Amino acid sequence: MSTPRIIDAHLHLDPNSKFYTPEPQLKHLLKLMDRLSIRHAVCTDHLSMYEGAGEGLRNLKSVYEESGGRVYYLGVYHPGRAAACMKTIEEAVLWPGFAGLKIHPSFHGISADAPVYDPVWKFASEHDLAILTHSWSVSDYNPAQTLSTPGKFERYIDKYRNVRLVLAHAGGRGNGRHEVIRLINQYENVYTDIAGDIFCYRLIESLTGSISPDKILFGSDFPWLDPRANLARVMLTDMDNSSREKILRENALKVYKIGK
Amino acid sequence: MCEQRARKLSDDYRERAVQLNIFDCSIWLGSPEGFPLAREMLFKKLEKEMSDFFITGGLISHWLGKTLSAQAGNRDLEEKAGMFPENMYGIWTGLPFYPSPSGPGPVPGKGRPHRSMRGVRIFPASHNYVPEEWVIGTLCEWLIRYNLPLFIWHTEINWPSLHRLAVCYPSLTIIVETQTKKILYHARMLFTLMRECSNILVETSNFSGQGYIEYVVKEFGAERLIFGSFMPVNDPLVPTGMIIDADIEEKDKLLIASGSIKRIIEEVHL
Repeated sequence: MSTPRIIDAHLHLDPNSKFYTPEPQLKHLLKLMDRLSIRHAVCTDHLSMYEGAGEGLRNLKSVYEESGGRVYYLGVYHPGRAAACMKTIEEAVLWPGFAGLKIHPSFHGISADAPVYDPVWKFASEHDLAILTHSWSVSDYNPAQTLSTPGKFERYIDKYRNVRLVLAHAGGRGNGRHEVIRLINQYENVYTDIAGDIFCYRLIESLTGSISPDKILFGSDFPWLDPRANLARVMLTDMDNSSREKILRENALKVYKIGK
Repeated sequence: MCEQRARKLSDDYRERAVQLNIFDCSIWLGSPEGFPLAREMLFKKLEKEMSDFFITGGLISHWLGKTLSAQAGNRDLEEKAGMFPENMYGIWTGLPFYPSPSGPGPVPGKGRPHRSMRGVRIFPASHNYVPEEWVIGTLCEWLIRYNLPLFIWHTEINWPSLHRLAVCYPSLTIIVETQTKKILYHARMLFTLMRECSNILVETSNFSGQGYIEYVVKEFGAERLIFGSFMPVNDPLVPTGMIIDADIEEKDKLLIASGSIKRIIEEVHL
């Protein structure tokens, strides 16, 4: 395999007992990254997803150091614990490896267009940070996904035009994808990643045919999913190699301002 | 320079995908249900679609067998069987043998299975019955008689029933399919079931948990994994990528991609 250059722009660390993962720890991740020519990753941890930025974020600072600067991390803003999160994030913005912010309206149970998200957008705007957010389609078996449909972010996308927003999972497996495409084509500051089990038929073709390849990031959602599932889709889908390079690496460098 | 590197990586993946000689047990005709962005794959485009994804043969199923009736899906497969490309066969939809279902399809006392049939899939949840021995026992015995494998989506059955079925019919090959939702939250039950019952195999279209391929190969053997794409709903490149980069021996990759299922269907005697 050639020199590692790929960037996995969306993953998580540590076990989550909702499912079985044989190897969820940092050492396993690094071994897998080496095998797949992945140079850098951008991660959050499961503790931070539950509690917001706090102890989990401090652990991720160590992860960055232990990984030799390969695994960058995001600060999770939990709108139910806004003040505590912002306090930690204000400290963390100066830490080595801190690469941006993460929100998850479905998981935290508060709609993406709620006023309580304004502080994190304002902070991102003032500090030239990217925000990675969960996004999905309306789901008949998971009603909480309604809180993260792409259109719900438009209020803030429009208000904070200098904040780079990554709508994760390409808007999910349903009509959220159409909203993602519309927002990306309408706003310069909107991007998407292909993390997760959005295994839709010819998805990569659909995205590269509808939006600029400058707006798509490779991501895995490790350890929920194996990076190999999505990596091969980028490698094997017909596209010019300039686009492939952007999706696998260049766009993540630009959005998260990492790897310099 | 960067583009050259991307091209080299992509070419390498392509070469390895071709070498797998993929035989796909989950190719679907008809209108998909429950996937708003999925479109029907027309039969006349089947070979082109397969070729695009390095698939050299496989087993064809029909959505009507689930969404409307077993008979409607089987009738369509029966009509098209004569036009199947080389190296293609059908998975027909089955129902309990009592009260006796009408054909076409697996029907007791109505002669041998159709010549294209290499497996039977049941949809207990959608078709409103329980997959227990007292309901589908005679169907299972019929499948064993012809060495036909039983295919079943994990979303169509509950795990205790599946365990009882596998224990009750140890000579019945049961291929648990990872649709229509990923097998992730069920992995503890699945792996325990695979440990308990050697007749349980897993289809790979949505078997994408971190390290799952390596885990199964190490714990149970590569012959327990069967390549499936679930096209044209899912992207065949997902299960392909899971094999290409798996940290397992090349011979095991070939078993998963095609060897295991080919052996199973070669042993079907009609």
